Amino acid sequence: MQNWVKGAVIALVSVAGTLAISPMIRGPVEGRTPDTNVLRSADGKPNLNGIWQAVGSANWNLQDHQARTGPVLELGAILAVPAGLSVVEGNEIPYQPWAAAKQKENYENWLSRDPEVKCYLPGLPRATYMPYPFQILQTGNNDILMAYEYASASRVIKMGKVEPPPVDTWMGQSAGRWEGDTLVVDVTGLNDQTWFDRAGNFHSEALHVVERFTPVSPDLLDYQVTIEDPKVFTRPWKIQMPLYRRQDKGAQLLEFKCVEFVEEMMYGHLRKKTGDEKPFSAARLRWP
Amino acid sequence: MRTRNRGLMSLAIAATVAVAALVAAAGQEQTAPANTAEVAKNWTPPRTPDGAPDLQGIWTNYTGTPFEVPDKSDKPEFYAGDLDGTGRGTGPSSFLNDTTDRQLTKATSLVVDPPSGRVPIMPWAEERRNYKLAHIQDDWVNFTPWERCITRGVPGGIFPAGYGSGYQILQSPGYVAIVYEMIHEARIIPLDGRPHLGGSFRLWNGDSRGHWEGNTLVVDITGYNDKGTVATNVATQRVRAIPQSEELHVVERFTRVDENTINYDVVVEDPKVFTSPWKVAMPLHREPDYQMFEYACHEGNRAVPNTLSGGRARDKGAPSAKTQ
Repeated sequence: MQNWVKGAVIALVSVAGTLAISPMIRGPVEGRTPDTNVLRSADGKPNLNGIWQAVGSANWNLQDHQARTGPVLELGAILAVPAGLSVVEGNEIPYQPWAAAKQKENYENWLSRDPEVKCYLPGLPRATYMPYPFQILQTGNNDILMAYEYASASRVIKMGKVEPPPVDTWMGQSAGRWEGDTLVVDVTGLNDQTWFDRAGNFHSEALHVVERFTPVSPDLLDYQVTIEDPKVFTRPWKIQMPLYRRQDKGAQLLEFKCVEFVEEMMYGHLRKKTGDEKPFSAARLRWP
Repeated sequence: MRTRNRGLMSLAIAATVAVAALVAAAGQEQTAPANTAEVAKNWTPPRTPDGAPDLQGIWTNYTGTPFEVPDKSDKPEFYAGDLDGTGRGTGPSSFLNDTTDRQLTKATSLVVDPPSGRVPIMPWAEERRNYKLAHIQDDWVNFTPWERCITRGVPGGIFPAGYGSGYQILQSPGYVAIVYEMIHEARIIPLDGRPHLGGSFRLWNGDSRGHWEGNTLVVDITGYNDKGTVATNVATQRVRAIPQSEELHVVERFTRVDENTINYDVVVEDPKVFTSPWKVAMPLHREPDYQMFEYACHEGNRAVPNTLSGGRARDKGAPSAKTQ
């Protein structure tokens, strides 16, 4: 076969392939007719009940990132950072110049600055794509619970109109509404303490998050988020990723009460010495 | 937010205690019926769309009733962490605590069984509690898991603490969830008859499995670790900081007896810690306007590091609060 023919065939096949798989990956186009394959509640709204999890490495870095050495020498490949493709539309986070410099500084001082290291509440949208499952409980009277295994974090999404949040918090205030088959969650009242990932991407207390959960099939949600923070970014920006239903037999949220795992790190220097102390290091970890 | 007026409430309580007629009046207003079954017979709870009794809403557990029947051997200041009478401690020593909107019932204690209103704690467990309370300046593991911001436990998380008293119950087919204001825990209870996790699984809050018996939600909990405590807050007095063992077995019953009341009762059984099972019965009050606030406990935990650093300063010969 001539090279150009080969090239054309490959191009055609890949275009066809992309077209075929893109609805699965990218989620439904807005305004698309409701998918009859979507699970529904008695009231006709999509039924999002279940245990879900993001699969990917967005929590390591929202943007394109190559694999790299992990933070603990002794843990070698076990805690090395996996590579991942950007979940940011256009792969660009539109930082103001000062903020771009701060993000770089955060990245370089990750271990001492990332709130996840201390088991702090994750905020939104990070709670959704941390490497732990979360459960959606959709109720008859419209409030929707999202409970996260990480740090026992949770939020109740109030449907319809809500009063402005009285105070800024780690998880903010979530107000939900349905737009067709999409659950739209407007999150306000977030404080400036949380990050977007382990790469130092950050925001101020002016953060406004709008999440869109759209069922694509019974076991797949399309998750899109618009992030707005006029104090830190030059314009709103978007992330998008699929969320998968955990289908493991007997799947349930387990405890990841990580406070217990950070007390030595945070308070160890204040503990009364008994003389039996061993230096805390990877060598002390006991693997199953 | 509910409005609170400490002075008025204290006055009301003093009056109630003093005047027998007012006690009777308070009795009429009380939302905890003397006989659950009787009330449940006369009142049909609303149903969720899938037909389950509807427990949903925001509930609070304010109470003016002491956890146990008081005894002259009790040492309220000690249970509160005030070891040497200097006023240092981890909370006010009175069970009344910050409970300004407390509800009165005819009960003399929340512990209803044994009839003495006293939890049958084994002596070793009381000694263990005493040691831990006396050594919170040495190591964080001597605090209760509540002060460590891990959990108030199950059932401890529903025992009145005096503040942070909101609970939101949500239901979806096959599940009941209880969102605890304190420690921001969402406890998800499956109702599909699945077995307990079993095996080596050990959890701070155990493993909850629920089912309906008539209009009552019955939750069976096993699979506890032995790091937690049965109760964490000063309002639970002598039972605070009593350890739980891996043999802890808890059965909770939630019965909505009228529009605004869930009767909550729980039987606690732990043959390593208690000489017999014991039972707490108390009402939860529906309070739709109560606003639950985020309880970002660990994020703002100064109690643990400050207590420990106070201990290290003491070790170096710093004067104690008592001698200052």
